[in-house]
Amino acid sequence: MASNAPFQFAGDSDSDDDNFNPAPADVSDDENAAQSSKRSAEKSTRRGSSPAADDDHSDEEEEDERPSKSASKQSRDAADNDEEGDEEDEDDGGAGRHGDDDEDEDEEDEDDEDDDDDDVQHRHRRKRRKDHRAAFFDIEAEVEDEDEAEDDEKDGEEIEDFIDNAHPDDIAESGHLDDDRRHRELDRRREIEASMDAEKQAEILRARYGKRAPAKGYGEMAVVPKRLLLPSVDDPGIWAVRCKEGKERDVVFSIMRRVEERAGSKDEVPIISAFERGGPNSVMKGYIYVEARRQNDIMIALDGVLDVYPRTKMILVELKDMPDLLRVTKTPNLEPGAWVRLKKPAKHSGDLAQVLDVTENGLEARVRFIPRLDYGVRDDALSARTADGKRKRPGMPGPRPPQRLFSEVEARKRHPRYIQGNPQTNTWTYMGEDFENGFQVKDIKIQQLEVKDVNPTLEEVTRFASGSEDGTENLDLKALAASLKDSNTNVAYVPGDVIEVYEGEQRGVIGKAVNVQGDIVTLRVMEGDLAGQTIEVPNKGLRKRFKTGDHVKVIGGSRFRDEVGMVVKIVDDRVTLLTDQTNTEVTVFSKDLREASDIGGQGSLGQYSLLDLVQLDPTTVGCIVKVDRESMVVLDQNGDARQVMPSQIANKLPKRRTAVAADRNGSEIRLDDVVREYGGQQRQGKIIHIHRSFIFLHHNATTENAGVFVTRAGNVNTIAAKGGRATNSNSGPDLSTMNPALKRNPTGNGNGMQPPKTFGRDRAMGQTVSIRRGGYKALMGIVKDTTDTHARVELHGKNKIVTVPKADLIFKDKVTGKTIDIYSRSGRGGFGGGTGRGGFGGPGDRMGGSRTPMGAGGGERTPAWGAPKSTARTPAWGRGEASGSRTPAWGDGSRTANPYDGSRTSYGDGNRTSYGGATSYGGGSRTPAWSSSAKTPAHEGFGHGSKTPAYGSGGSHDPWGSKTPAYGVSAPTPGASGADSWGYTPGASGGSHPYDAPTPGVGLGAPTPAALNAPTPGAYSAPTPAAISAPTPGAWQGGWGADAAPTPAVGAPTPAASGGYYGAPTPAAYGGAPETPAASGEIRYADDD
Amino acid sequence: MSANFVAPGQQRYLRACMVCSIVMTSARFREEGCPNCEEFLHLQGSPDQIDSCTSQVFEGLITLADPSRSWVAKWQRLDKYVQGVYATKVSGQLPDDVRTSMEEEYRVTYIPRDGSVTEAD
Repeated sequence: MASNAPFQFAGDSDSDDDNFNPAPADVSDDENAAQSSKRSAEKSTRRGSSPAADDDHSDEEEEDERPSKSASKQSRDAADNDEEGDEEDEDDGGAGRHGDDDEDEDEEDEDDEDDDDDDVQHRHRRKRRKDHRAAFFDIEAEVEDEDEAEDDEKDGEEIEDFIDNAHPDDIAESGHLDDDRRHRELDRRREIEASMDAEKQAEILRARYGKRAPAKGYGEMAVVPKRLLLPSVDDPGIWAVRCKEGKERDVVFSIMRRVEERAGSKDEVPIISAFERGGPNSVMKGYIYVEARRQNDIMIALDGVLDVYPRTKMILVELKDMPDLLRVTKTPNLEPGAWVRLKKPAKHSGDLAQVLDVTENGLEARVRFIPRLDYGVRDDALSARTADGKRKRPGMPGPRPPQRLFSEVEARKRHPRYIQGNPQTNTWTYMGEDFENGFQVKDIKIQQLEVKDVNPTLEEVTRFASGSEDGTENLDLKALAASLKDSNTNVAYVPGDVIEVYEGEQRGVIGKAVNVQGDIVTLRVMEGDLAGQTIEVPNKGLRKRFKTGDHVKVIGGSRFRDEVGMVVKIVDDRVTLLTDQTNTEVTVFSKDLREASDIGGQGSLGQYSLLDLVQLDPTTVGCIVKVDRESMVVLDQNGDARQVMPSQIANKLPKRRTAVAADRNGSEIRLDDVVREYGGQQRQGKIIHIHRSFIFLHHNATTENAGVFVTRAGNVNTIAAKGGRATNSNSGPDLSTMNPALKRNPTGNGNGMQPPKTFGRDRAMGQTVSIRRGGYKALMGIVKDTTDTHARVELHGKNKIVTVPKADLIFKDKVTGKTIDIYSRSGRGGFGGGTGRGGFGGPGDRMGGSRTPMGAGGGERTPAWGAPKSTARTPAWGRGEASGSRTPAWGDGSRTANPYDGSRTSYGDGNRTSYGGATSYGGGSRTPAWSSSAKTPAHEGFGHGSKTPAYGSGGSHDPWGSKTPAYGVSAPTPGASGADSWGYTPGASGGSHPYDAPTPGVGLGAPTPAALNAPTPGAYSAPTPAAISAPTPGAWQGGWGADAAPTPAVGAPTPAASGGYYGAPTPAAYGGAPETPAASGEIRYADDD
Repeated sequence: MSANFVAPGQQRYLRACMVCSIVMTSARFREEGCPNCEEFLHLQGSPDQIDSCTSQVFEGLITLADPSRSWVAKWQRLDKYVQGVYATKVSGQLPDDVRTSMEEEYRVTYIPRDGSVTEAD
């Protein structure tokens, strides 16, 4: 074969000569022309008349392009003959004789050919015969065999040429004579042809070539349909033989080599063919397929071939599977605009690229992609590598530069000489690469492109889209869609899907998937003639079917993943749906949809999920209100919704269950409380996040930002607190929770006076009471049952149990009928502290026996009184109404009196504050008188006595002093005279000019410290008296000394102020103490104990 | 001796004829032309023609030791061709002019080898 090919071409080149050769031949034209014309005429008649002339005829024609190779060969041989040795001679002779033989044989054949159209068969037979005869000629047989084995076909032609052109007699003659004659003949024929009209000529041509093609065999192959070529039992078998993966091609070539090397030898390779269908993604990799008659042939043929393992189990391929082995599927054509991934420039491997153009033969594509340029920053490293020869491989070790659009400026920095281009069109050539609009443009061979399963992500695609210089979005969704659609492999059907067959024989069938196995989907047909039947269809050619109005979820493929919505339009396999979340229309492929059972709720993106609180930058937080496939929308604390990538999020803030804020009224608000905006749109929502002063609320009534909105904590009113916390908007902050004293010693004096809450059985049970209010007023009865607030009273006078508020009950001694206080009678645990002071309480006794502790309370109250409680309340106070409740505690006698009288609520209130001490005091007697008196001394104290200093200091211009006088003033008419700043808006005044503030507490504290301060006095007074007593004096002393305030009382506050700690309270406490020095002294002692 | 063998190192220069799918190195196409289709493709000595009528993108190599007896060859319509290495699939399209001339002048029915026709059968 190898030797034949060049030979043939030599012949071909001869044919070219034909055209101009005739010139010299003209010399003898006269003589030969007649002869040849006669011949040609003869031939043409033969041609016309008998089909038997087929062979001649075709040979004749071949003269143009194929001037008898044999002839030329002969002529060459003849020429050689003269000069070369015997061998050549023999050869020639052989050829001659061979020709002889063939002639005979051909003549016989001609007869046969009439009825024998099959060329192949014909030749085979001839060959067989030839072989047969050739057996007589030893030398020739060798040559001949080889020749034939290698090119049967050509050989045949050669022989045929012989017959025609070279008369047996002429064979010995040199070829060029023959040539001449033929040239002349050709000329003549052309003349004749020229003289014929075109139509006739065309006919002849058609007849000529029409016959000829089949004779060559090509046409015939195309005609036979594939199904007639299906393998039969007579065909050789095909075995699959294991081989090393990735080495399939090499194996096939190795087999080829072996076949050729051993051809003609004794151990000819007995196989017929071998093929592979390897490739990285092929399911048939790791095997080669060998066609042979017997399995043993394969063993022989492949023995010793590298990377193939014939000794492992060979698989015989069944007849019906054989065509599948050779199945070829068309690679989809690349269309401009499609997305591909680059494989080849290693630097860009895996990068997304867009096809701009495809060459005609479809083998190369012009693509654009985002360049990875370092603009020579790493040049040195590269050149070092290139220095030692071929080391520089496209493999490009080391990190590759990031993808960035081409920058002319950057390029000019280091390589001004390597860049040229046109700024107008923004096309550049830099380092031999082309750049357009910032993208690199390159022709890339198709095998270096990843065409299937590209799956471009939104992020990648947007980079291409935004590349347009005018800023317009040139995102070609169609191309994107096509790219996405290509990845058909990941269409997953699940049982239950309603599926439509849109391709193939079953087209139009609609059914519900009942089973999915690999690529085969089993459908139960729902409509049409086949209804009720179950059919199996291949995955391909199926699509999901939806109806308008279906509620569907996007499950993949597109960037709308996880959107849920309602189908509004269906065109082919494109489904338009109206999303639940944003009410926008999106169009996706039906394969990406699934019937949705759930609504709206987006999934999550990485660690971030809907409604999470995230940190955007050090000062900004936001709540995720929408999660897309690759990005999310975050509502930040300023109320702006912005789209961010996960990478832009610093971190996720964990939900703090304990986060607390204060609402507009100062009530604490926590997560899950329902609040309403004050003013504005009055939006209402449930708190989902509290971050500093911002609260994120969620409300179901709106879909904007997933129902989330953000506002400031101070801008909302509590509507409902989770778990029914007290949310009386008028009550102000729950100071008891802010009061560390109470926290540390919850049962101390905190709720001391709170009547109902007690440990164990309610004391009221079984008590004899009289009702002092309502329809049952004045009736007596026995408490049968109680709740926190009410009691069920079995009336004495009537056989009836009524429910009465406990506050309306007067407890009577069963025996004496005297009014008693069941709660206060026995020392409560909480009173321990008080009791401890009982000794001291002695002085208190002057007020009421049992109240003894109250004496202490008085002592402690005083401090509370002094400044602190005002301070304590100050924040709330400042805010307004809230002060009302507190005011009494603090305030002037009149107000104080009211709560005492009126209800226990105020009582309770009082209790909560250290003032409570006073209250309890008052409580003891239950008369305002006491409290007033209690206060009075305080006032007085302030006024003169120990507090006098304050007063005095007030006289001086000491800031504290300033307060004091204010106090003093306030004493008479606290509210009024305290005037604006004091009585009413201490917070404000405190805030603006702390020192001027009338009350030390307020003044010192400013609102916030005040809050702190508030508890403090309590703390001092009750829980850790020791602590108080100890530090305070020091502070006091120090403060005193430092400030050189005339009186300790004044001094006291001052240091506190300077200490900045307890601010007002401390001094106040002291102030209090001095006021009742004995008491305070007692306290200290008690504590010290 | 074994002209059709191509060493692994040379395999990247392989090209496949789009008409008969024979696989050879481009150098060999240039030197010898296509053994089956030279008549109308005229690949010999013409790199341009080789470029347009042969393809680097092909898959599924077949060693044909005996084309006339092979079912594989018959199925691939290679049974009239010479012994050698062929491809089951050759991507790329023959230029229209070549295709026209070959079909009209030489009456050779062009069978695209890129898989576009087999689907139809």
